[in-house]
Amino acid sequence: MSRRENKVSKSQSVKESKLNLLDRRILNRLQEDIPFLSRPWQEVSKELNISESVLLKRVEILKKRGIIRRIAATFNPKKCGSISTLVAVKASLLMTDKVAKKINVFSEVTHNYLRDAEYNIWFTIVAQSKKRIAHIIKKLKQDKDIDSIIELPAKRLFKIDVNFKV
Amino acid sequence: MLSLLDKKIIRLVSRDMPLVDRPFRHLAKKAGIKEQALINRIKAYKKRGLLRKFSAVLNHRKAGFVANAMCVWDVPESSVVKAGKIIAGFCEVSHCYQRKKYPGWNYNLYAMVHGKTKDECIKTAKKISKKIGFSDYKILFSSREFKKTGVIY
Repeated sequence: MSRRENKVSKSQSVKESKLNLLDRRILNRLQEDIPFLSRPWQEVSKELNISESVLLKRVEILKKRGIIRRIAATFNPKKCGSISTLVAVKASLLMTDKVAKKINVFSEVTHNYLRDAEYNIWFTIVAQSKKRIAHIIKKLKQDKDIDSIIELPAKRLFKIDVNFKV
Repeated sequence: MLSLLDKKIIRLVSRDMPLVDRPFRHLAKKAGIKEQALINRIKAYKKRGLLRKFSAVLNHRKAGFVANAMCVWDVPESSVVKAGKIIAGFCEVSHCYQRKKYPGWNYNLYAMVHGKTKDECIKTAKKISKKIGFSDYKILFSSREFKKTGVIY
């Protein structure tokens, strides 16, 4: 394929961002538990009235397109002996990228977002101990690019259910 | 407490599973146990509440949910539980927590609100506010994602 043709097909695949009805049905179903059976995909494909091979093919494409990040188990960190917390940081707008990079160095940081508020960087930590969390926060506190840092641990959980009706 | 084998399994199944017809057999091999033994353990984790969900994790932006807002309310301590339960009932909300307040950050009730547009999120926040009866709130849209990964066990 010539370079030009390659370019065209690339832009077409980007344009093809709409999800068809089958993709939507698959995505809505797969955000619930997969069956805990030897052949989970066979069971799901029966539910969706399609063949197992079509299902696997579609899921593969959805993963390639980055719409599905992963198919994996999500645990309750607390029950697995981990501690989680939310941290908010104030940094000058010019410094946010640099600061975010320094925060992301810690493998215990799972989510990190730039948000439009006086505290503008928000991230979550899931670590093995309170001590480790304290250590990470202490390290970041020493960073002169960080103006202020507050830890906001959860006192009560009312809901956790990530499920997008696609 | 969790055994070494449990920890090994938790590590294994927290990662993206291969797209094969018998994924549990593949994972069981890696854990050094039988397929059915792995499935039984997974079922037990689910029953004990260790396992929240074994499912697809979406990139919600790419799935059309471009806007995500962290909405925070200042709710008096005596009303937090009632308000939290109301917020939990909204399907647009994925997470809802009560958190500690700070001087200069006087919010204690947090909800992650998702929508296809910012406007949708703003509307949802307004609806929530009306329903819980507290109007001191703030909407923090995420303008960039610096990191999003699964937990590394």
